[in-house]
Amino acid sequence: MAASVPAMAGTTLSMWVRSDGEELTRKIIDAWNAGHDNKIQLTVIPSPQMVTKFATAAAAGDVPDILSIDLIFMPDFMKAGFMTDITDKMKDDPNIGRVSPSHIKLATYKDRLYGVPGTPDVSVLLWNKDLFRKAGLDPEKGPTTMQEVYEDAKKIRALGPDIYGYYIAGNCGGCNIFTVAPMMWATGAHVVPTSADDEALRDGDIKGVLEILHKMWTEGLMPEAVRGAGPSEFHSAFYPGKLGMFAHGNFQIGLIKNKAPNLDFGITFIPGLKEGEVSSFAGGDVISIPKRAKHPDDAIEFLKWVMTDEPQIEVYAKGNFLPSRTDLVNNKYFKDNPKLIKAAGAVAIAQTPWTFHFNDMVNDASSPWLKMIQRSVFDGQIDDSIVEARKRMREIISEE
Amino acid sequence: MYSTKSKYVGFAYIAPALLFVAAFTLYPLGQLFWMSLHNWSLLGGNKFIGFGNYLRAYQDPIFWSALFFTFQYTLYLTPILMILGYLFALLTSGTAGLVKLTRGTIFIPVVIGLGSSSLLWVWLFQPQIGLFNRLLVDLHIIPKPLVWFGADATLGLWGVIISITWKVVGFGMILFVAGIQSIPAEIIEGAEIDGASYWQRVARIIVPLNYRIILLVTLISAIGSMLAFEQFYIMTTGAPENQTITSVYWIYTNSFTYFKLGYGSTLSIMLMIIIVAGTSIQIALTRRRSLE
Repeated sequence: MAASVPAMAGTTLSMWVRSDGEELTRKIIDAWNAGHDNKIQLTVIPSPQMVTKFATAAAAGDVPDILSIDLIFMPDFMKAGFMTDITDKMKDDPNIGRVSPSHIKLATYKDRLYGVPGTPDVSVLLWNKDLFRKAGLDPEKGPTTMQEVYEDAKKIRALGPDIYGYYIAGNCGGCNIFTVAPMMWATGAHVVPTSADDEALRDGDIKGVLEILHKMWTEGLMPEAVRGAGPSEFHSAFYPGKLGMFAHGNFQIGLIKNKAPNLDFGITFIPGLKEGEVSSFAGGDVISIPKRAKHPDDAIEFLKWVMTDEPQIEVYAKGNFLPSRTDLVNNKYFKDNPKLIKAAGAVAIAQTPWTFHFNDMVNDASSPWLKMIQRSVFDGQIDDSIVEARKRMREIISEE
Repeated sequence: MYSTKSKYVGFAYIAPALLFVAAFTLYPLGQLFWMSLHNWSLLGGNKFIGFGNYLRAYQDPIFWSALFFTFQYTLYLTPILMILGYLFALLTSGTAGLVKLTRGTIFIPVVIGLGSSSLLWVWLFQPQIGLFNRLLVDLHIIPKPLVWFGADATLGLWGVIISITWKVVGFGMILFVAGIQSIPAEIIEGAEIDGASYWQRVARIIVPLNYRIILLVTLISAIGSMLAFEQFYIMTTGAPENQTITSVYWIYTNSFTYFKLGYGSTLSIMLMIIIVAGTSIQIALTRRRSLE
């Protein structure tokens, strides 16, 4: 009797993800591994270290097969030639045109595609319904303009000495590009330059947005602590239930359920200055295949699969995460949760700045973006700070 | 005086150490200098520009303000650590059980990682829920909680100094205790018999006999302060407006945030030269005083 030939074992692919995206990515990987011969082994890198770690790995040629990276860094890595061009392999994929446009834009360089959406998130405006009720405001209706945000914040502030109307992270550039830039985009503003020929901070009404934030600061509608607030203070500002409104990520929907289960809140799009002006920041990760990955053909199958109905609904939506497919907003898991439907709707209106040197211009503590926010909101130097930030952003984008 | 053979034998004995120093100190130093002569990106690619980076550093206002801030931090922190460390050492140089327990308690923060300690103090200093502000308000030292980090550079500096003092003072204390305990008991007893008061014994006998340990601790403390990074990265993030950025923080920012390894290398070389020069002057001055 002939011995049976064992089936060929699948390939093991390596994947890196930053710690901020670990929870959803693990679920995705578990679902993939359960149904495929090729398995993916996930390595979690602390978020602040991801860029450096990948840059040094790419320089050394020791890269994972699949990389999940903050979409904002894609332009620098695509320009450096660290990513694999997947344009031709994706051109016939039925789902590539249905996913988050911001993520596709950030994964595109010189009309070539280098990644697909991985773990999308968006910024939204949250409001505390209990405080709205106590202040005589309609708890089921969030503000639709920044002027309304100001007026509602004023009424909430009057509720007590330790209750505040609004909150921003005064010491975090990334937090403000996520939550204040959409207010500017909603007015039609262009915030971050894409090239040396592109002027920053123009059009729309950037000054109007900063004036309202400055007014909220000078009138004490925001706590003094916002001046030094970084990402971790900003992240948890809403949980004690003493804050009327703030803009943050859709992931707060799940976090508030765990950290402050009794907190009754609503979410809406981030408004601009006039009725109907809304916007959002599309963040999260793009999944890509680094150049010199050992198994690029196997990796591309994963990138295609992650955009199909099965993971989008049974992993993303079922776990209360936003699907990257904009046509799956009204899925069976979201239909009884208006907050998730609203957040998913923000994906289609969201923007993400496409630029090089994003850290220098925005994220870093010494960035011109953060300096502009600080000088405008806390010191009232709005015009001068916009001019200075524009000039400095041009210098940065012009550097080699 | 020495035979050729004994020279070779001597060289053979020190060769492993020389190789170690060459591999882990001289070679990286050489590469650092080479990188400083280039526009060298973390994302790949480099272009030789000679001393262009050094000229840029000379004209870089943030480099100089960071250096000045680092000096300021060092000048404030070092005497605090020295004086407090020595006082704690005098307090705990005995051998009684309670004394040893006190010494151990003061030393415990030394073994906590600097990152963990900094994160702990970020929350202790938090204006709305921080215990430190609450304590100061309850003791009527301040009328309302202060925003320690992000709004005022001086407050940020002193916040970091307080946290580092808590964490590091035990290290100097332990070294000073070793120095105090190494003094022969007869010398102290003799002074006591001669009628010297406690503080006279400290000033005239204990401190002078601990001169070398004091110099060592001063050097370690000063060099450590000049290389301060994590505590400011975590606690102040350089705010407000870069006023609490240290030299190493600026090196890190340029190298790993802006991807400019070449410029970061330049700043590293310049900081190294400054620290070596300062340390050499300090040693020379104290050696001259010692000879006198």
